[in-house]
Amino acid sequence: MENTVFTINNLNLYYDQFQALYGIDMKIKRNEVTALIGPSGCGKSTFLRCLNRMNDLIEGCNITGEVKFNEKDVYMNSYDVINLRTKVGMVFQKPNPFPMSIYDNIAYGPRCQGIKDKKVLDDIVKKSLTKAALYDEVQDRIKGSAMSLSGGQQQRLCIARAIAMEPEVILMDEPTSALDPIATLKIEELINDLKKNYTIIIVTHSMQQAARISDKTAFFLMGVLIENDSTNKIFTQPKNKKTEDYITGRFG
Amino acid sequence: MELLKKNPFRDKFNSKKEAIDYFVRTFFMISAIISSSFIIIIVVFIAKEGIKPFITDNNGIGSVNLFSFITGKVWLEGTAFLSNLYGVGFIIINTLYISFFALLISMPIGVLTALFIAKIAPKKIAEFLRTVVELLAAIPSIVYGLFGSGIILVFVYNFAKIFGIQSKGGNSVLATVLVLALMILPTITALSEVAIRSVRSEIEHGSLALGATKTQTNFKIVLLSAKSGIFTAAILGVGRALGEATAVSLVAGNARSGPSFGFFETTSTLTSTMLQGLKETVGIDYDIRFSVGLVLMVVILLTNLMLNFAKKRVGNINVK
Repeated sequence: MENTVFTINNLNLYYDQFQALYGIDMKIKRNEVTALIGPSGCGKSTFLRCLNRMNDLIEGCNITGEVKFNEKDVYMNSYDVINLRTKVGMVFQKPNPFPMSIYDNIAYGPRCQGIKDKKVLDDIVKKSLTKAALYDEVQDRIKGSAMSLSGGQQQRLCIARAIAMEPEVILMDEPTSALDPIATLKIEELINDLKKNYTIIIVTHSMQQAARISDKTAFFLMGVLIENDSTNKIFTQPKNKKTEDYITGRFG
Repeated sequence: MELLKKNPFRDKFNSKKEAIDYFVRTFFMISAIISSSFIIIIVVFIAKEGIKPFITDNNGIGSVNLFSFITGKVWLEGTAFLSNLYGVGFIIINTLYISFFALLISMPIGVLTALFIAKIAPKKIAEFLRTVVELLAAIPSIVYGLFGSGIILVFVYNFAKIFGIQSKGGNSVLATVLVLALMILPTITALSEVAIRSVRSEIEHGSLALGATKTQTNFKIVLLSAKSGIFTAAILGVGRALGEATAVSLVAGNARSGPSFGFFETTSTLTSTMLQGLKETVGIDYDIRFSVGLVLMVVILLTNLMLNFAKKRVGNINVK
């Protein structure tokens, strides 16, 4: 299989008149964790949402350039967005479980794709929960409400929900910013586990988190991709002065 | 200074702000007491009149038996044949039967319209439709009644003819159901729309990000998340259907016996029975309408309690 999952060429994004991303060029490798860092409003979340076309939902959002997923430009007219989103899952900033049982939360995605066989669904639910390191905690109340879980458990449920689709990529938009340190640690361990099977792209506010969990780090500033390199290099010998200023905490 | 210290006002409040706060709270409390006391006054008044037929001998006619009143299948009325044989059992059933079908019609239409306005329609069309729904809700019931007797009765009359049924000028269960469905539709639509709009967009996005289509998201996630509010819409819709009088009287046909289950039979509801001839009668025939009013209040109260109970069961997140 090709080693590069996403190839982004000269991506510009506008919210009406306001330009939020400027000529982004980037490659994202398979089975790696790529962290997107930068100060608030730098465009990292916007960039992330380009990858599964969630920006389509925002009115007045326009995009030029290419976002190639497995060699195909996802912004081509003929591209199947539904299919893209089953291959590129997403975990949001705030845990957003559906108001239904844990089981139904996980089975929701597969059901939407027409899977009805109960045995298959049972299997998917169990596997996904296990992979998201949640199964042991919830196995006795799997038909219970997802809303009764703690914040950290809810977020892992959302990860399990994404895994249930067997995606190639999981996008994470500050998945731990609403969680306490212990829940955060669990999610980070989980990310470490998941990268064997999935490509993970994570937006994070915390540079320590980026340093702890990612292989590659991309630094955004004012809608521009300033530097993109292995995490080690970014944090020890950044090439760009702005990156150095940011990671040493001089601004942001 | 001595005088100031002894001032009880000074003792009670430490500052002017506290005093103002106290008076404002008292003012609110008085408003609340006034508005809630109206309910008590109304209930007491209706009860006082409504209980008369059961405890007095009604100027020699004899008192009405409560049990046969509640379960009765015939409503004898009019000054021509005064008697104590009044029964509302069939009218209670008629009322619930009609309200149920009215809800059955307007619930799906209302909820789907609400979904369209809140989620699917372009902004301008949504704004336009919202205004239309508000206007519909503001139309007085007598206008619905006129529309009903002018248009719906004719429609039902002709419709019945197709089946070879000679309906009584269209006055029927079907006409009543249609008029009521029309009347509660705006209530249900407006309230459902608010409920649907207040569903958190994060949940919707979560669904879309899983590769669900917009339609799947709307039906499986949005409606599910809004179900508590939609249920409230249904409760208020039923409340309006049970309590509607003017329009119903014009199309129901005011049957004196029943219950009427056939769609082309004439019917009567608690409200239409109360309204019919209220101003042209005296004595027991007048007082008994207050008894019907009491029955109506009890019916509405019980229905609301039941629906609220059901709402709690449904509102609980657990689906299975």
